Amino acid sequence: MIVLIGQYALLLAVLTALWGMVAGALAGISGSDGLVASSRRAICATFALVTTTVLALEHSLLTDQFGVLYVAQNSHRTQPIPYKISALWSGQAGSLLLWAWILSLFALAAVLINRRRNRPLMPWVQAVLSGIQVFFGYVLVLVTPPLAVGIAPADGVGMNPLLQNYWMMIHPPTLYLGYVGVAVPFAFGMAALLSRQTGDVWIRTTRRWTIFAWLCLGTGILLGSYWAYIELGWGGYWAWDPVENASFMPWLTATAFLHSVILQEQKRMLKVWNAVLVILTFSLAIFGTFLTRSGVLNSVHAFTGSGLGPHFGVFLAVLVLGSLGLLIWRLPDLRSEHRLDSLISRESSFLLNNLIFVGIAFAVFVLTTWPIWSELATGRNVSMGVPIFNRVTIPWFLVLIALSGVGPVIAWRRASLRSLKNAFLGPVIIAAAVAAGLAAAGVRQVYPLLFYFCSVFVFGTVLGEFWRGARARQATASESFSTALGRLVWRNKRRYGGYVVHLGIILCVIGIAGSSAYKREFTWESVRPGTTMDFDGFRLTYDRHRIETMPEHQSVVMETTLTRNGRTLAVMTPERRSFQRVDNPTTEVAIYSMILPRSVRDLARVGEDVYLVPVSVDERSGLASFKVMVNPFVNWLWLGGVVNILGTLLAVLPDRRERAMLALTLEENEENKAAVA
Amino acid sequence: MDPRKIKFLVTGCVVAGAMVALFAVSLNQPGSAYYITVSEFVQGRTQGDNFRINGKVVEKSVERQGGSADLAFKMTDGTSVLPVRYHGVVPDTFTDTCDVVVEGEMGSGGVFAAHTLLAKCPSKYESAAAAGATHPTGS
Repeated sequence: MIVLIGQYALLLAVLTALWGMVAGALAGISGSDGLVASSRRAICATFALVTTTVLALEHSLLTDQFGVLYVAQNSHRTQPIPYKISALWSGQAGSLLLWAWILSLFALAAVLINRRRNRPLMPWVQAVLSGIQVFFGYVLVLVTPPLAVGIAPADGVGMNPLLQNYWMMIHPPTLYLGYVGVAVPFAFGMAALLSRQTGDVWIRTTRRWTIFAWLCLGTGILLGSYWAYIELGWGGYWAWDPVENASFMPWLTATAFLHSVILQEQKRMLKVWNAVLVILTFSLAIFGTFLTRSGVLNSVHAFTGSGLGPHFGVFLAVLVLGSLGLLIWRLPDLRSEHRLDSLISRESSFLLNNLIFVGIAFAVFVLTTWPIWSELATGRNVSMGVPIFNRVTIPWFLVLIALSGVGPVIAWRRASLRSLKNAFLGPVIIAAAVAAGLAAAGVRQVYPLLFYFCSVFVFGTVLGEFWRGARARQATASESFSTALGRLVWRNKRRYGGYVVHLGIILCVIGIAGSSAYKREFTWESVRPGTTMDFDGFRLTYDRHRIETMPEHQSVVMETTLTRNGRTLAVMTPERRSFQRVDNPTTEVAIYSMILPRSVRDLARVGEDVYLVPVSVDERSGLASFKVMVNPFVNWLWLGGVVNILGTLLAVLPDRRERAMLALTLEENEENKAAVA
Repeated sequence: MDPRKIKFLVTGCVVAGAMVALFAVSLNQPGSAYYITVSEFVQGRTQGDNFRINGKVVEKSVERQGGSADLAFKMTDGTSVLPVRYHGVVPDTFTDTCDVVVEGEMGSGGVFAAHTLLAKCPSKYESAAAAGATHPTGS
């Protein structure tokens, strides 16, 4: 019964979305208030209907209704409740349903927030968002129905054990919030073109949406990396895998967009470019979903055989061609109101940043899709390996990092030599000193040295900004330094939030550079319990093994003790698990993170992980093989992720001055229109 | 044309050109990988001493030795079958009938000696939307 309700709700949702689109477009053309309201009601209805379907599927999952195929494939009777809930997004149909639901929620939120604002834009925004909903609704009804029923088996297959991990529970939804969040700025951008309101209103209105989507994409990517790191047991977090790249590409273009909108807001420049970027970002978000769902990369032939590929392909083509066509049609409206003056200016640094971000995204796109092109051209499936991705992108990441220290500080329009010296000489000297010190301490590789040089440089310039700003306040307002700093940040949340994000990125960079350049590996084979293993100043003792029987699986647990200089650091218990339902064993690694150094000599080990992989174990004798990886600085990456979240939150907090600006722009627009009329 | 505009265009082109150049140079260095099928390898149509072969694990052919890092299995592309041995960390995604790519050379006794093992299981993995559906292990 509930299943039936869910199925019909989805069917109706397609119809309401269709009406939302048609009514929105008609309202955009005719200017009819009744149609706008009708389209808005359709969006509310779509949300209610998709929510019903989601609840119906969750209900089926929680009540073990294996007659629903999706439930039978992704859950089973004794699956823990949290994983029954998260099974909603552990399979294809369910995750597309989640996509559609988030979209309907965002559409509702965007429409309600702007109910009394942006009158010229909203009909088209509603039409575009509803149009995207129609596509997802269509796919969910006709291609992968989440509530399809069949003959109920006695028990379900259950979720892949690799996915039964708390980080995996939140990683897909976070990423989807990012993918779908991009749809809102995209819809506003298209609405701006359609309604010929091409000023900066659409950008100011969607600033928080853009930042929110960007944050979710980035956090989603990091959560996925963290899951891969702790669950997959190969000691790394990034392998330029197509599914990783699929989420990374929209993040790159979204980052470019985030910066270039500042130029449109401040200088009324780059209107065309911003429209291109928002189209590109949303298309890449859809492309990412397409890439992971269609199997096109395994083989071009798999693509035509699979259910989803062609539908996504057509949708993507319509999306890209339609929006670019619209952009070309409106080009005459998009003249820049300012021009560039000097190569040495903030404008230029932002342009260079954009060029590089998009360039990297393009390179990643070409390399990721290489198997498709090569198979089409030569009939051979050639895939690109990790080294090529690294070689092509790393130099440009280096430039980007350096720019993140230059951009915020350098003057608008034209920077004088004197101001450059004031802002950058100090940080450059400190960074050079640190790099020289590292070189003297034995760091020889070029890339790590350059990365650490740039990191210190950016830290220097960004902290310098905080320092100068606070001092300036202090001088005029006679406040204590800390009060001045606090008020400075609080009054300019957007600016200083952005700086905090830059610092967070630098922490990530330190983590990535350190853990990739200085990773060390050690292996021991056929080790008996009681053996000690020495590596890198650590001693690992394999004490004993034991068998643990859990409801779902049986584990062979290896008890080991990690010591350093005679002090016990941790008891590490990696496991090999065999599941009743799945034939292959899984590896549970054990990780010891050095957060606080125990001695001065271990200072360079702050944030280091000792990553213990149980390669194999004989359950009777306990004879085992181990692999240990020492991953320096890797925790700086996760810390950087947290700092990014905090900085981003600071940047989106409500801001009085910003609200005043938006109101002013809206007022100006009204006046202009009145003047024209 | 405004000379300032030309200056910006030239700078932009230089940066873009550098990106393209680096890309082209990188493509010519090793790192891209041809996959050959099991049949192509068995029929000896390809030359060289390091191969990347793509195929499926033959059901029930996987042998693991408890306590050591040795693994033996057979892989197939539907027509030919190739026995493979591998020494190292086996990814958790490696299962019966999953898609594998092995890299290595022909060893003694007609057994392929793999030094790298990649396993992809799109069907079991479809939910892993953004992380490591395949992952390299070994050296």
